[in-house]
Amino acid sequence: MSPYTKYSEQELVSLLLRQDGQAFSYLYDNYSSALFGVINQIVSDREIATDVLQDVFINIWRKIGSYDDTKGRLFTWMLNIARNAAIDKIRSRPYQDSLKNQPLTENVNSTAANRVVNPQVNDIGLKKVINKLKEEYRVLIDMSYFQGFTHEEISKMLNLPLGTVKTRIRSALMQLRTMIS
Amino acid sequence: MNIQEYISSGIIESYVLGLASAEERIEFEQMCAQYPELVEARNNFELAVEAQARRNASFPPADLKEKIWAAIKETDSSNTPKIITMEPTTRRSSGWGWVAAASIILFLVAGYFAFTYYNQTKELKNSNDELRARVDRTDSVLNKMAEEQKIMSDPNVTVVNMVGTQKGSPSSANIYWDSTSANVYLIVKNMPKLPSDKQYQLWSIINGQNGQLQPNSLGLFDIGEDQKVILKMSNVKKADAFAITIENRGNTGGPNLQQLQSMGKAKL
Repeated sequence: MSPYTKYSEQELVSLLLRQDGQAFSYLYDNYSSALFGVINQIVSDREIATDVLQDVFINIWRKIGSYDDTKGRLFTWMLNIARNAAIDKIRSRPYQDSLKNQPLTENVNSTAANRVVNPQVNDIGLKKVINKLKEEYRVLIDMSYFQGFTHEEISKMLNLPLGTVKTRIRSALMQLRTMIS
Repeated sequence: MNIQEYISSGIIESYVLGLASAEERIEFEQMCAQYPELVEARNNFELAVEAQARRNASFPPADLKEKIWAAIKETDSSNTPKIITMEPTTRRSSGWGWVAAASIILFLVAGYFAFTYYNQTKELKNSNDELRARVDRTDSVLNKMAEEQKIMSDPNVTVVNMVGTQKGSPSSANIYWDSTSANVYLIVKNMPKLPSDKQYQLWSIINGQNGQLQPNSLGLFDIGEDQKVILKMSNVKKADAFAITIENRGNTGGPNLQQLQSMGKAKL
């Protein structure tokens, strides 16, 4: 493939559906670093993040048939695969066990709450943008986006009414939008 | 709620970032089907998210790409069917009379099963062969269609519509002529079958300087059972027109213009 070849998302998807090796190569070259950046924001250990990225690409390759372009762009689809894989990883038992300085508790809620109170220093990417949000918003985005908790879980963990959690997350997202657009 | 309020409610961001609930997602997708402005707003936010992710890209280890590709190839090739062997279980019993009676019954039962299995296998084999033949036929039709489609959609390709010149035999075909590679494809739309000693021949024709036509053979071809065929003919760089004649099988001479079947001008 010439280095100047540029596929539209549509072309890329149809080549991937045909299991085209060059399409994989292009997919990787064009998206791996952006997806790796996203994974790194959730999984701070670089080696583990690399494993997650590998799983993500294998999943993209296998599941490309389920991508539906009426529901959104290819990147968005891949981004959500990457985010989900990263969150699954940090919630997995081996990862939880490997976390140093953080005693393993049966109660996942208290572990998560610890992490919210003492968020990891990770001032890159979307996290950097989120750090500019006001505290009550920042916590909610961190818990929902970077740790994958549902609104119900957050409501219980922070002892806030479910409706408040929902409206605050919406408002936080709206602010986020103006920050990145 | 009107659509503008909906757009600015934060739902787009929740949806795109994967934070919306299942109900919200379903509702959002239904709304998208109705309101193009919602799709546009979603698309804009998606682009902003992608740009944001690209600004914060981080390069994975250099050998990862090869590793992933190897892992993909490995799992693809391990998807071959597995062979399962059935271990027969043996059991001892005492009493020879019982054994004798059982073995006779077993013999009869086995014979019966062997016979039914034999018939079933034969049937299965026949239907399998039949299916395979059908798949092969479908594949070849599909391949032809795909090839046709590829040629037809190429912007460098000039289409020359060949129209019948003989009364009563409306021969028609299309020539797809790739002016950059000089490839010529002939797609037969309607050409009558010929006696076995005759063949069709495709010609490219150049208007000579002195007004004489210079024909150049692009090849002989037969029309098979399967009428819609695509034929790759000899390459030609320059042609003012194309013509199809009927010739004796294996013709090596010039065109028999009495037998001109169809003709089309190359407009370039």
